[in-house]
Amino acid sequence: MSEQLDPTFADRTIERLGASPDKVLEILQAIQDHYGYLPQEVLEHICEATEITPASITGISTFYDQFRHRPAGKYIVRVCVGTACHVKGAQQVYDAFHRYLRIEPGADTDPDELFTIERVACLGCCTLAPAVQIGDITYGHLTAHSVGEVLDDFLRHRQTVSAKKAHAPAATDGRQAEIRIGLGSCCIARGSGKLNDALNDALEETGINALVKRVGCVGMCHQTPLLEIVLPSNESFLYARVQPEDARSIVLRHLRPGGLKQRISTRVSTLLDDLLAGGDLPAVTRYSIDVRDKPVADFLGKQKNIATEYCGVIDPVDLDEYISKDGFKALAKCVNVLDAEAIINEIRQSGLRGRGGAGYPTHLKWAAVHDSDSGTKYVVCNGDEGDPGAFMDRMLMESYPYRIIEGLAVAARVVGATQGYFYIRAEYPLAIKRMTEAIDKCRRRGFIGENILGGDFSLELKIVPGAGAFVCGEETALLASIMGKRGMPRLRPPYPAHKGLWGKPTLINNVETYALVPWIIRSGGETFARLGAEASKGTKVFALAGKVARGGLIEVPMGISIREVVEEIGGGIGGELRFKAVQVGGPSGGCVPAKLGHISVDYESLTQAGAIMGSGGLVVLDESDCMVDIARYFLEFTQNQSCGRCTFCRVGTRRMLDILERICNGQGKKGDIEDLRQLALKIKESSLCGLGKTAPNPVLSTIEYFRDEYESHIDKRCPAGRCKALITYTVGDDCIGCTLCAQHCPVDAIEMRPWEKHEIDSEKCVRCDTCRRTCPEDAIKVE
Amino acid sequence: MVRLTIDNQSVEVDDGATILDAAAKLGIEIPTMCFLNGCTPSTSCMVCMVRLADSDEMTPACGTIAQEGMTVVNDCDQVRQARITALELLLSDHAGDCMGPCQIGCAAKMNIPLMIRQIAAGDLDRAIATIKEDIAMPAVLGRICPAPCEKVCRRNQLDEALSICLLKRFAADADLSSPNPYKPKCAPANGKRVAIAGAGPAGLSAAYYLARKGYACIIFDERQEPGGALRYEIGRDQLPGDVLDSEIAQIIRLGVKFQHNTRIGKDKSLDKLCKSFDAVFLAVGKIAAEEIEQLGLKAAAKGIAVDSNTYQTNRGNVFAGGDAVRDGRRAVRSVADGKEAAIAIDQYLSSKNPTGPERPFNTRIGRLEEDEVERFKACAGDAARQTPADSEAGFSAAQAAAESSRCLHCDCRKPDACKLRKYSHDYRVRPGRYKGPRRLFEQQTQHSEVIYESGKCIDCGLCIQITAQEGEKLGLTFVGRGFNVRVAVPFDRTIADALKHTAKKCARACPTGALALRQEVCD
Repeated sequence: MSEQLDPTFADRTIERLGASPDKVLEILQAIQDHYGYLPQEVLEHICEATEITPASITGISTFYDQFRHRPAGKYIVRVCVGTACHVKGAQQVYDAFHRYLRIEPGADTDPDELFTIERVACLGCCTLAPAVQIGDITYGHLTAHSVGEVLDDFLRHRQTVSAKKAHAPAATDGRQAEIRIGLGSCCIARGSGKLNDALNDALEETGINALVKRVGCVGMCHQTPLLEIVLPSNESFLYARVQPEDARSIVLRHLRPGGLKQRISTRVSTLLDDLLAGGDLPAVTRYSIDVRDKPVADFLGKQKNIATEYCGVIDPVDLDEYISKDGFKALAKCVNVLDAEAIINEIRQSGLRGRGGAGYPTHLKWAAVHDSDSGTKYVVCNGDEGDPGAFMDRMLMESYPYRIIEGLAVAARVVGATQGYFYIRAEYPLAIKRMTEAIDKCRRRGFIGENILGGDFSLELKIVPGAGAFVCGEETALLASIMGKRGMPRLRPPYPAHKGLWGKPTLINNVETYALVPWIIRSGGETFARLGAEASKGTKVFALAGKVARGGLIEVPMGISIREVVEEIGGGIGGELRFKAVQVGGPSGGCVPAKLGHISVDYESLTQAGAIMGSGGLVVLDESDCMVDIARYFLEFTQNQSCGRCTFCRVGTRRMLDILERICNGQGKKGDIEDLRQLALKIKESSLCGLGKTAPNPVLSTIEYFRDEYESHIDKRCPAGRCKALITYTVGDDCIGCTLCAQHCPVDAIEMRPWEKHEIDSEKCVRCDTCRRTCPEDAIKVE
Repeated sequence: MVRLTIDNQSVEVDDGATILDAAAKLGIEIPTMCFLNGCTPSTSCMVCMVRLADSDEMTPACGTIAQEGMTVVNDCDQVRQARITALELLLSDHAGDCMGPCQIGCAAKMNIPLMIRQIAAGDLDRAIATIKEDIAMPAVLGRICPAPCEKVCRRNQLDEALSICLLKRFAADADLSSPNPYKPKCAPANGKRVAIAGAGPAGLSAAYYLARKGYACIIFDERQEPGGALRYEIGRDQLPGDVLDSEIAQIIRLGVKFQHNTRIGKDKSLDKLCKSFDAVFLAVGKIAAEEIEQLGLKAAAKGIAVDSNTYQTNRGNVFAGGDAVRDGRRAVRSVADGKEAAIAIDQYLSSKNPTGPERPFNTRIGRLEEDEVERFKACAGDAARQTPADSEAGFSAAQAAAESSRCLHCDCRKPDACKLRKYSHDYRVRPGRYKGPRRLFEQQTQHSEVIYESGKCIDCGLCIQITAQEGEKLGLTFVGRGFNVRVAVPFDRTIADALKHTAKKCARACPTGALALRQEVCD
């Protein structure tokens, strides 16, 4: 090993994690964390020191996106290219980072080796689109123009981060109020972390005794950061889009400062604030919203919280609070009262179907594993939510970790498993952190471990972080990944229920499925079955994003119509453009056009419309979205995420993408649409696993409903003005010669001509859309 | 035991047996590429797709466990189409030529790369046998052929084409000057007689190949001596008379007879020939439309109208080729016509429907990227293109050796064993059906027994399984994911490091030409 590399680190890692072949993924993750990449000499050393073979370590380290084989810059900039980000200009942002950091074509790191730019399938912060993650900080609503500011902010933040101080917890006695702030990833990205600090500062300064409590995702991601003050009378006040500087004013509005001295000093500084702000706390009223306000009422009104019960109320990792709100009652009932048959029967009566996408009846899966004759069985929670445009499972894991653990424990009890795994994608660090914390607390309190709740039931739990491969959401690939292999799906049958982890019967369900279980056991299957549609019972959590006024996380009864979701809950498109379609189900789903807005959101109706329920991403599209581009976008995603095993998916999706790229580049020819459709049908019919079988859906559904757009592209026109090769930017007569566009153009395609009409050099123009966004007169035309 | 049906035939197999096993028991052949007994089915190539009638699902037969009461459909259009698409997709990402571009460019489709390797190995006896499979008069053509094969030689992209024509002449001259020139084994006389009109390159060639198949041939020619245009139109300086004579002598050695001074249609009627012979081949050279009609034949724009595959005219047992059916005046084309017509006549007289020569399946890389050409050089010599001492002389033995070592071996090392080629041929697939970016031609030549060309790999992973099973220390692995997945050696080592004791086993298991035994000696 060369001198720069610490030769003992690998050995220590092996000692800590073990040397058996199935440890390879964990060892690689530790190596990558330590060095920022996987130095080859370290990998070779691992092969010598363990039972891991060179073939295995090479195969695995090149399969997962998380692993790098060459050194990276000091900080990684992960540009989210998820669906919501894509439709809001992620590619322009990605290009802008490259330009701004002067990264050579083909390279990913700037010449100073400070930043490495990576694309990431989806950060699950769809309401912040377009979003990037730099280091561990998430930034939202980027534009091509703002990348410089964001990088500066990040570097500034790095310098101040160490100066953070800790706050002493407030005394419980004489508490004046509870102040709740959302601390889901989205809220944090929108500044709720800073708000948290500011609130604590304000309380300390004013001497007010109030508990600042973090709560999980409130779902109203369009309003984040949200702050709610709950007085002892249970009267509550909700504030939206609160900035750290507003913290003090809000606190003072409802609560009285502590001692006399603090009251006087507070009075003085408040006066000063008033003078500066020019009025009686005007900055605050702007943010105040009320649950009775129509938009909020609409957003919340049609919702039914089961998986997200106590949404915005409960502290995600406060075990006592969970217990005080009926937590682990269902598990207790299952351990002490109900036998496996009775529980399965309850689940059967509830009509619960798998929330991961395919909608397989949960009770059948449970019964199959229960009936499998084996001494060793496993339960697995699929938290590898990879669909771009979906963030339900992330939010559930961040906000309700105990509920998921309880659901999984019930399942383990039913099937007779004593070991459970949570497979959580690496892009969700907060979810991993909260689940880890929650498992630890459960273990300490006897909710997991030996003889749970005094019964004869024992269960151990382990978290396996994914390593960046969408295909691992497919159950057989996920199991391969847990066993430390390349995440390659295999032919079913045998199903995991018969042959899963290490050949043993394995129950695998999605996060949301488990999250629904405690409520069903507590309230009864029939109660659950009263909600929802004919064959799709209960509620479904959706991530609503894209071109919608109120994006966020919603839980609604199945059977609600698409139009209700978009227009009533989501508040419609907003602006002048019209609602065009909803992309449902991510890369495996399809686009349901506005004219089918009346259809019911349930498994069968969505499948019939050419989409699928999928994991529940709803990305709303308007007239400015090009459906061919959307199809190309999804296919590019699945093609990139194909494991490469079967011919149809590995080569077939690439050939479909070739045709789509040609069409989007204005090189489409007659017959391409039909060729594309035929190939799509073959891939759907003959691919080995769900990824390949559903990858053509976005293409097939857009051809079905928006064939005219495809035809326009063949005629070298992009009606929505999205496909770069088919559009040009020009300056119209409304130009007032303000020079803003010229100042902001990143490639000097516009010459600065004060008070004259400007012109865009089409040769130089990179179609980053900055000029159109900066123009105060809407003078930039895109055709 | 479970009972199932495949194409309506019932069969009983052990529990755990696959559909493929069940089909084998019934004697139903299901194509497979990525499957090998002793390895876990990887269900990767997907050419073994069958349909399950009850669920109307497609599934790979190799990995699907037979279930009681299963109804499997193997013979139907949907299955056929799925297999075709799988093959066409694999071919769209295949950096390999089944046959060298030279062989494709050669009108006579001679296996030029094989001939070159035989010359390089100094095995001239086998070289001339290879040549004479397709070219009856190589010494003649070695002097007058415009060598379209050299124009398409991949070595052009590097420096200069192989001097193929002179190599062929070298082998042919050596044969003619040997005490016992090559004489192919002829089938025993089958009692059938074929009349050939015209003793030019097409007629002579047809006679040669018909004689090899056991037909009695008489060549009628209006001139005094045989050779047609070769003797009467080409200058002696270009084609010395003794070369022509001795090459024709090799044809006569097979029992071919001549009748000179006889022009069909004038000295002897076609009707009469048709009656006294089982078949007639017209290779009379350029012929006017009126004359064609007088013979009772249909005329086309450029001569006698024939079926382009079988050379058959509108008169069932009359065939025609050479300049009588086309413009061009290329001897190699006429020689090819003679050979192909001989095949069609043989098919006709064996009471089969004449279909013409079998066209072997071929896929081709197309234009090479710059660095791809460089990679081709790995197995080839560095010498510059050789030129003979003077324009009339051929190569010396040393020159022939140097020249033949320059061959890039573009043709596949497994032209017959490659399953991708076999099924592509059987299922009549279109190699250019899907276009787009493809894997690049690459070659690892460090191993003494095998050569690895990842451009031809279909990612079945059999070699990976074998190296793991057999305990290779380094072995092979998949690198990357999706469309970019490749079988490679861990840690960027060479194939020689990877395959210490499993090279031959892996090469035999490889369903394509990706891993192939070296052919340093002879094929």
